[in-house]
Amino acid sequence: MKAKKLTAIFMAAAMTISMTACGSTETPAATEAPATDSTGTDTAAETTAADGETTLTMWTIATESDAFHEPYLKAIADYEEAHPGVKIKMDTFENESYKTKIKSAVAANELPDIFFTWAGGFSADFIATGEVLPLSDYYDAYKDQISEAALANATYDGTLYGSVTNTPVSLMFYNKKIFDANGLKVPETLDELKDVCGKLKAAGVTPIATSVKDTWVFNMLGDGLTLKSAGPDATAKAITRQGVTYGGEDFLPAAQALVDLRDAGAFIDGATGLSNDEACQEFYQGNAAIYFTGSWMSGSIATDAPTPEDFDCAPIPVINPANAKLTDFMGGGSDTLMVSAATENKDLAAQAAFEITRDVSKYSFTSGAGIPAWKVDYDADVSPMTQKIADYCTNASSFTLWFDTLMTSEDAGVYLDLMQQLYVGDITPEEFDDAMNTQLGN
Amino acid sequence: MNRVRRNKTAIILFIIPTLILFCTIIIVPIFMDVYYSFFKWNGMTAPEFIGADNYIELFSSKAMGFPRTIKNAFILAGLSVFIQLPISLFMAIVLARGVKWEKFFVALFFTPVLISTVVIGQLWLKMYNPQYGIINSFLRLVGLDNLCRTWLGDGRTALPAVFVPILWQYIGYHMLLLYAGVKSIPEELNEAAKIDGANSWQIARLITIPNLKPTLQVCTIFAITGSLKAFDLIYVLTGGGPAHASEVPSTLMVDMIFGRSRYGIGSTIAVFIIFLCFFFAVLIKKVFKTEVD
Repeated sequence: MKAKKLTAIFMAAAMTISMTACGSTETPAATEAPATDSTGTDTAAETTAADGETTLTMWTIATESDAFHEPYLKAIADYEEAHPGVKIKMDTFENESYKTKIKSAVAANELPDIFFTWAGGFSADFIATGEVLPLSDYYDAYKDQISEAALANATYDGTLYGSVTNTPVSLMFYNKKIFDANGLKVPETLDELKDVCGKLKAAGVTPIATSVKDTWVFNMLGDGLTLKSAGPDATAKAITRQGVTYGGEDFLPAAQALVDLRDAGAFIDGATGLSNDEACQEFYQGNAAIYFTGSWMSGSIATDAPTPEDFDCAPIPVINPANAKLTDFMGGGSDTLMVSAATENKDLAAQAAFEITRDVSKYSFTSGAGIPAWKVDYDADVSPMTQKIADYCTNASSFTLWFDTLMTSEDAGVYLDLMQQLYVGDITPEEFDDAMNTQLGN
Repeated sequence: MNRVRRNKTAIILFIIPTLILFCTIIIVPIFMDVYYSFFKWNGMTAPEFIGADNYIELFSSKAMGFPRTIKNAFILAGLSVFIQLPISLFMAIVLARGVKWEKFFVALFFTPVLISTVVIGQLWLKMYNPQYGIINSFLRLVGLDNLCRTWLGDGRTALPAVFVPILWQYIGYHMLLLYAGVKSIPEELNEAAKIDGANSWQIARLITIPNLKPTLQVCTIFAITGSLKAFDLIYVLTGGGPAHASEVPSTLMVDMIFGRSRYGIGSTIAVFIIFLCFFFAVLIKKVFKTEVD
């Protein structure tokens, strides 16, 4: 009798616990840099071989299918050539699972020598643990090549903690062919955008492809419209809890615009069920005319779209010209390499972080994958669209980091959630702003 | 053998390795989980003790919607017991009765259990795709365009749409358990019933099912606890979306811990999942016992 009860409890426990195995689904696609010998182990500690060779371990998200894979490999090769006796061992991970992986590594204090992360609020918790090496002392050697402004997001309380590769920005990508066929002009204000969407809809073309399932895609438009309504200063202060209320006539029109566009049928059918990849395909295939996303899409268009020459890009339209200009951009330097404070070769690792980001900046620009954060002191033969984006960045009046990167991860989680609820109609624009204020402590 | 059983040292020696594993992998984490549920902790910096605040927030926060995730889990548990198990039972009895290609069908129905859940998730994702998915394509083909939906993206259909693959996948699992149970019932009982003039339905109802009680009990426990901690397929198909429509406790827990770095509240959710699973396992034991009496 007793034994039976015990068996029952034992079994229940066994079943309950089997779920803990679900948490870690990431499959690290370990990629060795070409010139690296495969003696490196998976541990964060560097191995010093008998011949005095030093190996630095680096984690990135430049998987083989990623546009940054080649730039990283080339940058590592350059670094190893310039520093004989130092080898870089790169392990790559898929973007989403890496966010979990890097947080766990910080929690367990098992960071590799050099690691990729997103500057801004995402890494603020990492810095607070003291596990990240301050890089201010090493910056002097590179200050002619990269400006302090470009590194602003990786600077916490006046101390620099990382070096960035490039400055992606949010843009409105559109299909020139569809626009020409319908006699449309590229919209520069919200009213023009609504007008364009109405005409496209009437012509039987899906105006905007997006993914609300992968909420960050929808937020590329949401963040952008908020910026173009409230302006860069108010936007950044509101979402980083610096005393600006999220709401009122500065903020409400942005949330209202999303709802208006949705009600007008501007978004692709089933946006809540489509992933970013699926929605992109609809855009590449010419089934939708507009896609709001990061500048990295210009690299993907070149490789994935059947007719790359049909596509072009423009800044996100302005809602309130009193607060924001066409040349205000969402984005900025966020792709960052940081160095573990526990590394045995602090100087080497810090130097490598700067030099690898510098070379990735260069090689990703020439391949069309990214807009350089570092000074361009070389001849770059790039596609017209990449050059256009680089010019946008040069002439930008401001950069505001994406909400989910700039906010702390808790605030960002709530924001992503509320955006989805706004889209499906669970909450009104007013309720959205109220909920944001509650979360942001106003 | 008897001598070994009487030897206390031998008993302890044999039990200790498992006991140590059981404690370190199951008992200790449960207590740590309860401990962390009293803290506000981002997993990295020092935890801050906040008493029962996590528990209060869990049930009072409308934005988090924890009660709704519990409701969803209960719906799934109900569907598992009242739809999935009867289908499994029916298939088990029919197959065990001896149909042509019996072994082949048993293996066939069991294959979904063997396939990786992520693969199954991808399969169903493609079937549910609003543009080219087989479900919408079929509806358009037969002229039922007005029934086409964004199955996984519509708040009204997302929950049923993720439940269908979950129920479908494990029908084979319960069928196999029940099939083995039916096979173990002595053939003489069936023969005796046949001689007394019982038809197939009467044999199933009066001989097979009563004798299957112990197996049915195990299946019910598996179905209910499995539903309460359902995670993988939902995570692959919708991630709990859109706007929490298909959220269950475990997807909410993952979102809280890894999406928002809130380990404290994530632990609180885990405490509830563990509690509910224990509670139902014991409850089902009780229900089946009174049935037997």
